[in-house]
This record gives sequence, C-alpha cells and structure tokens, in this order.
Amino acid sequence: MQQREEKQLDAAVESLASRVAHVKNALHSFIYKLENEYERLTWPSVLDNFALLSGQLNSINKLLKNEKTPSFRNQVIIPLLLSPDRDEDLAKLTEQRVPVFSHEIVPDYLRTKPDPEVEEQEKQLSVEAARIGPEAAQKQIQTLNKLCSNLLEKLNNPRDDRDSESAAIRQNKPSFNPADTNALVGAVAFGKGLSKCRPPGPVAPGHPGQGPMMSGGPTLQQVTIGGGSNQQAGMGGPVAPQQQGQPGKMPSSIKTNIKSAHPYSR
Amino acid sequence: MEAPPVSVMPVTGGAVNMMEYLLQGSVYDQALESLLHRLRGLCDNMEPETFIDHELVYLLKGQQGNPFILRARRSLSHPTSPWHLRYLGQPEVGDKSRHALVRNCVDVAASHSLPEFLNEMGFRMDHEFVSNGHMFRKGAMKIVVSKLSRILVPGNTDNTERLSLSYLVELSVLAPAGQDNMSEDMRSFAEQLKPLVHLEKIDPSKQRH
Repeated sequence: MQQREEKQLDAAVESLASRVAHVKNALHSFIYKLENEYERLTWPSVLDNFALLSGQLNSINKLLKNEKTPSFRNQVIIPLLLSPDRDEDLAKLTEQRVPVFSHEIVPDYLRTKPDPEVEEQEKQLSVEAARIGPEAAQKQIQTLNKLCSNLLEKLNNPRDDRDSESAAIRQNKPSFNPADTNALVGAVAFGKGLSKCRPPGPVAPGHPGQGPMMSGGPTLQQVTIGGGSNQQAGMGGPVAPQQQGQPGKMPSSIKTNIKSAHPYSR
Repeated sequence: MEAPPVSVMPVTGGAVNMMEYLLQGSVYDQALESLLHRLRGLCDNMEPETFIDHELVYLLKGQQGNPFILRARRSLSHPTSPWHLRYLGQPEVGDKSRHALVRNCVDVAASHSLPEFLNEMGFRMDHEFVSNGHMFRKGAMKIVVSKLSRILVPGNTDNTERLSLSYLVELSVLAPAGQDNMSEDMRSFAEQLKPLVHLEKIDPSKQRH
C-alpha cells in the first residue's frame, strides 16, 4: 500500500516536473522574442505564445486533478539543512538560479500559504461576500451570467450579419469591370480597337491619328465591322474606303462620334 | 475549325509541344495598388519586375479563310534585348470543366531585323500596342498586370493613349502538352485574388462581336 502510493507520488512528481519544464521553456522563448525581436513581432504571434502557455497550464491543471495523482497537500517539505554557503550541485540543477539554499530563499520557494497581503485581501473579500447575503449574491451571479451569454451570442452569431454588411460595402466599390475585361481581352487577342485603320470613336481630339492609309487587303478590323461594335456607332459599312477619301473631313465626323461612343463616359 | 495546311504549320523540329494555360481578368486603376500588394505577398519573393513592351501582330493571309497570326514583341525598357516571336494556336476545346484556356504556344527569340523579315515573308502588320506593367512569378505560374495603350502614329511608341481605365491581369503557365493538373493550381491561385479581380477563362472568339 505504501509502496504503491510512493510509486504514484514519484510518477506524478515526475510528470509535473516535465510539464513545468515545458512551461519554463515556452516562457523563456517568449521573453527572448519580446526582448530581442519586438520590432518584428506581430500581435497574432504574441497571441500564439499566450495560447501555448495557457494550453500548458491547462495540462498541468488536468494532471493535478487526475485521480491517479495523490494529493500533494498531504506531503510536507521540511528543509533539513540551511546554509549560507554556495552549493554547486544545487546551482547546476537549477541553472544558476538558486546558488544558495539559505534562510532567504526558504520563505519564497517553500511557501504553501499565499502572501500575507494576498491573505488579507482574501479575508476582506470573504467578509464582504458574507455581508451581502445569499439572495443579493444570487442575483449578482445571474446578471453576470446573462451578460456573458449575451456577449458570447453577439460574438458568435452575427458573423453572418457582419458578412452581409461587408459584402454590401464591397459591392458598392467594385474593383473591376467585366466589360473592361472583355475589351482588353479583345484588344490583346485580335486587336479590337487597335487597328492601324483608325476606327471612328475613341480618338482624342487634337490627335489627327493619320498614318499610312490602308492599301486594301482584308484585316481583322474589317471582320469586326460587320459585327457592329460600339465604335461603329453612326457609321455603318466598311471604314477603309472612307478614309482613303478625304482625310480633311475626318475630324468632324470623329467629333460627333465621340459624343455617342465615348468609352470613358460612365 | 480546320487546321491550316502543312505549309503554314510552325516547325517544332522534334521539341516538346508547349501549351499555354491562360486565365484573364481586369482591375480598375484604383484597385491596382491593393492587387500589387496582394501579389507581392502571394508570389515568389523577388524584386517586382516592371516592363514596357511593344507588341506587333502580323498576319499572313493564305487562301483559306483564317489568316495565320504571329506576335512579335520587343522591350522598350531594354532596347538591345532580342525580339520575341510567339505563335498562339486556337484554344483547345476539350474538357468544358478545364478551368483555364489552353492553347498551343511556340516561342522563339529573334534578332532586330524581325519586322523586315516578316514583311519579306509576306506578313502584314495588323495592329500594334504598347503594354506596360508588372510581372510576378509563383513557381511555374506567371502573373502579368499590364496596361495596354494604343499607338496613335504607327511606329511611334512615345505617342500612346490608354485603351481603357483598367489594367489587364493575366495568369499563365507554359507547360508541355498533357499536364492538366496545372489548371487546378491556377484556379486555387485565382481564388486567392478574389474579390479584387476575377480571373477566368475568356474565350477570345466570343469577344469578336
């Protein structure tokens, strides 16, 4: 019976020590990050570190609550020998944190009760709680629970509402226009709007846009003329023969067409 | 769609038949900055590359209905670089579920005498434009965000006028024929650019009318 308890105690202490070592390592790396890399640190990574610590603390709690763990409250640690001399073995064990096992460190490291100030505060709080009376306390508990659940609901559910709001906002500011896409693809694929044979329409006034005239020969542009794209507004039929006529007349017809088929007037 | 006669087929000389997988979209000028930021984050980490290119499209009219098209491209920002000549075939109408436009693609480099050579061969320049913008890479995928400008006086690339208030966004991959899994990767990349820009398969022949 004794042996089993001893074995259980040993196992529990060992696993507790290993989990505490994990927490220590996590804290160590977190502090290092905070001290040295604070310029590059982002809030999500800080949150990750906190989450890691919280998970580790949780696992320690679970271990302590485990049925197989004997109650540590029943164990007592009594220092047998205190000396102000430096103890090398202890220093090595604790990575130079506790070089001396003396009267100064005992109250901190072997403490089982809370600090005196904390104890005072706890006593005051329990006096206060007793003074209020059970019904008032119950009411306060209920209000707190209701507030918490309301907040949780707000955080969890209207993600849908928020999404539809943000979707509406996004719709008000579209970042692309399918008509433009089609126009650009047409231009790249077969020169819609780009032919040497100047189509009437999107020509800036003041740029005569006269180049060597098309000396005949079928072109891609003429294939699209039959299709009636909006550049042809007001000017049916093949464009080339007209341009081979009087170049001087072009400016006036271009101007009228600009009014009717200007791509930028949206 | 009848195939052009053998005399007009590009000579590949035993090399692997390369296909170009393409998705296209556009984005307004105001949204360009956000798109560039997003691409800088998503794509391979390298200095963002800008380019100014002048592309000329040459046509060879045969006896059949459809002319043979070659695209010649030169860099205006690196005037001494060689010209780039490209042939793009008709889009493959295979699988409707394939997410990207697939077409045969042959690329070669050429010297600066390319325009004269093509003219001597019988090609006539149909149209030209200036494209300038940014290029990003992610693995095998190439993303090009460019604004197209019309050349007002043929041959004069300084005097240009923008074609539209949007930038053209193209996602392309060059891969040997038969590798259809690229279109899946392209589609998942395109998902990450929504809702700024919708990259989709746009059939150019539908844009004619």
